[in-house]
Amino acid sequence: MSAATAIGTEAATATGTEIEVLSDAPPAEPSRPRVLLVGTALATGAAAMLVLTLIGLYLRLRSDVVAGGDAWLPEETNLQLTPVTMGLVTLLMSADTVLWAAWALRRNDRGHALFAMGVTLLLGVAFILGAVYNLQQIGIGVGDSTPALLIFTIAGLHIAMVGVGLLFLLVMGFRALGGQLTGRAAEGVSAASLYWFVTIAVYAVIWYGIYVTK
Amino acid sequence: MTVTEAPRAVAPATADPTPAARPSGVAAVVGSGNPRTIGQLFIGTSLIFLLVSGVVGVLVGLERIDTSSADVFGDDLGRAYTLHTITGLFLVVLPLLLGLATAIVPLQVGAATTAFPRVSAAAYWTYLISGALMVASFAFDGGPFGSDAEGVDLFVVSLAAVLVAHTVAAISVVTTVITLRAPGLTLRRTPLFAWSSLVAGVVWVLTLPVLAAMLVLAYVDLRHGGQLVGRSDRLYDHIAWVFWQPTVYAFAVPALGIVGDIVPTFGRRRLFKHNAALLLIGLFGALAFGAWAQLGVTNDGGVDTPWLFGGPWVTTGVVAALPVLGLVGLLATTLRKGAPRLGAPLLLGLAGAVLVLAGVAAGVATVIKPLDLDGTTWMTGQANLVLLGAIAAGFAGVAFWSPKLAGKLLPEPLLGLSALLLLGGTLIYAVPDLVTGVMGQLRLVAGGAEGVDDIDTVEALNLVSLIGGVIVVLGILAFLLAMAKPRGAGQVADDPWEGHTLEWATASPPAVGNFGTLPEIASEAPVYDARHASSTASTEAAP
Repeated sequence: MSAATAIGTEAATATGTEIEVLSDAPPAEPSRPRVLLVGTALATGAAAMLVLTLIGLYLRLRSDVVAGGDAWLPEETNLQLTPVTMGLVTLLMSADTVLWAAWALRRNDRGHALFAMGVTLLLGVAFILGAVYNLQQIGIGVGDSTPALLIFTIAGLHIAMVGVGLLFLLVMGFRALGGQLTGRAAEGVSAASLYWFVTIAVYAVIWYGIYVTK
Repeated sequence: MTVTEAPRAVAPATADPTPAARPSGVAAVVGSGNPRTIGQLFIGTSLIFLLVSGVVGVLVGLERIDTSSADVFGDDLGRAYTLHTITGLFLVVLPLLLGLATAIVPLQVGAATTAFPRVSAAAYWTYLISGALMVASFAFDGGPFGSDAEGVDLFVVSLAAVLVAHTVAAISVVTTVITLRAPGLTLRRTPLFAWSSLVAGVVWVLTLPVLAAMLVLAYVDLRHGGQLVGRSDRLYDHIAWVFWQPTVYAFAVPALGIVGDIVPTFGRRRLFKHNAALLLIGLFGALAFGAWAQLGVTNDGGVDTPWLFGGPWVTTGVVAALPVLGLVGLLATTLRKGAPRLGAPLLLGLAGAVLVLAGVAAGVATVIKPLDLDGTTWMTGQANLVLLGAIAAGFAGVAFWSPKLAGKLLPEPLLGLSALLLLGGTLIYAVPDLVTGVMGQLRLVAGGAEGVDDIDTVEALNLVSLIGGVIVVLGILAFLLAMAKPRGAGQVADDPWEGHTLEWATASPPAVGNFGTLPEIASEAPVYDARHASSTASTEAAP
């Protein structure tokens, strides 16, 4: 008998025996390998690396220029802290509403879940509009200088990251509407939440690294 | 009460291997989410691109014989060189290893499919289309050193899309290993190839986006004045760091896993110290995370040396050799203590291991500052050793798992010839580069032989290197010929090598779903254990 056949026989025997012995036992807990959550965690890491790379580059170049005694930002640059802080606060509020949605889904409270999801989407859209407006008010063009090039690219990539997060939440919201994501099967919303939190964390780095320290 | 779900002691309810009606023809290929089909597509396409890269590499080698002129490519020599290198890594090495992982890892961990089969399929088609566009961009005067703005744009966008494809394919493989292992198959019992795919996949997922970020920046810069990275003559400097140590090692991590699974099978013995092998591969992967190295090439397209290039770069360059050396030692011990039989997969695998080890050893010299090898052809030779070692190991994997990939075995004589040609050819190809690097020949895109004192010797060594390149191409052709003439179609045993790991417990080729139910896995070599248990039982039962 080949090893392959031996393993196959063993599997069949074990299955039959176990089911017979456990005929009065409750069903085994279904396996929940959290595939979507793990995959999302990896994809989130990749997305974060995309933006963090450019932030690292920005900080290094700025450090070089400042060490040489020159000014990093052109004089006409208008980097205002207040609007971007509002953007950060908006995202932080959305973190709360995402948690609210996930909490409600775990309790099969579809009403609250959908309301929280809707508020999250609203806050996300508000953030994107605010971020685009801030870029318009910055006072320099993309190709004017190295800092401008980096600021626009970093901000653009982060806006894209937020857009992907909103799309992810939207899909999970629709699935919740369809009744696919209630109760314990709320892994999709957990995955979307994870991505959203990292998006917010990345923005916090941008906020501090570019706008606070200038 | 009726139990409707499998108890925890056995595998969760995976789909039974059912020969359901399947689409045929083009629909079966284009619409397939079967990891075996997707893996085959990845591997097949990478081999086509390998021919492109190999032929262009030989033509570039021709130019180096007479360093005073460029007869074949003229002013396009830089573009031809970058076509050879970028295609070789992103369209050959990575997809070859990813394809193998997509097809084999689910079998090794006892899963029915990959974690995200449709994502894997989407990754393949993105790779195919973007890869073709990337190669085409060179024909439109694009790519690094290209003068056509739209051609350069096309190159940047298509390479970024290739990186996205590889990243999502890697995510699918990594998630499969983390979440879909059969009951009892702990990470410590994971086969080495699956483990190395996990380690390499994580490193790739964190590294490839760094390069993608630079490409996004280059794309924006190209359209707004090209003041930072977006001039086509600077572009390659912001890509080339992936060919340098430590990042280049990330593409050799799965090669170690492949060899690590082949050697015990052909040594007819359990792998000597499996846990230590896991640790060494993990350590090598951690040291291969070299995305920080791109920070050294930001100013004016040159290589800057911030503090990172002092301690960390030197340390990783030296320490990275140790895990590879340790693993080769474990494999040698396994063969020595076992009863080895010669086989073409073993030959190919050992060729790959020797080349990777040589490449990592060469990396140690790279970081010794007084030798001043940074930016010379020493680095080219080192990268060629590592990457061609990874390709040889990839070939070994294809030959070893061909019963699972295609239900066929490949002809051993051709595979053996391929192994010898690849090993010998790569050494003849790369070692002259190492020597000319010591003599001061710069990388081709950094000036080549300009300023070298003994130009005649350098040109003679470049000729030797060209001959090595031709031998490598012959080795590749021998492998392709072997693939074109398989043996035993339709009559291959499920386990022709007497393998050790779970993939050998199912049919060759596997049915859809791979396995029915599996028992609790109790070791890192369950099939080896089952075979020995049954042979022991037969002996005891004999009168």
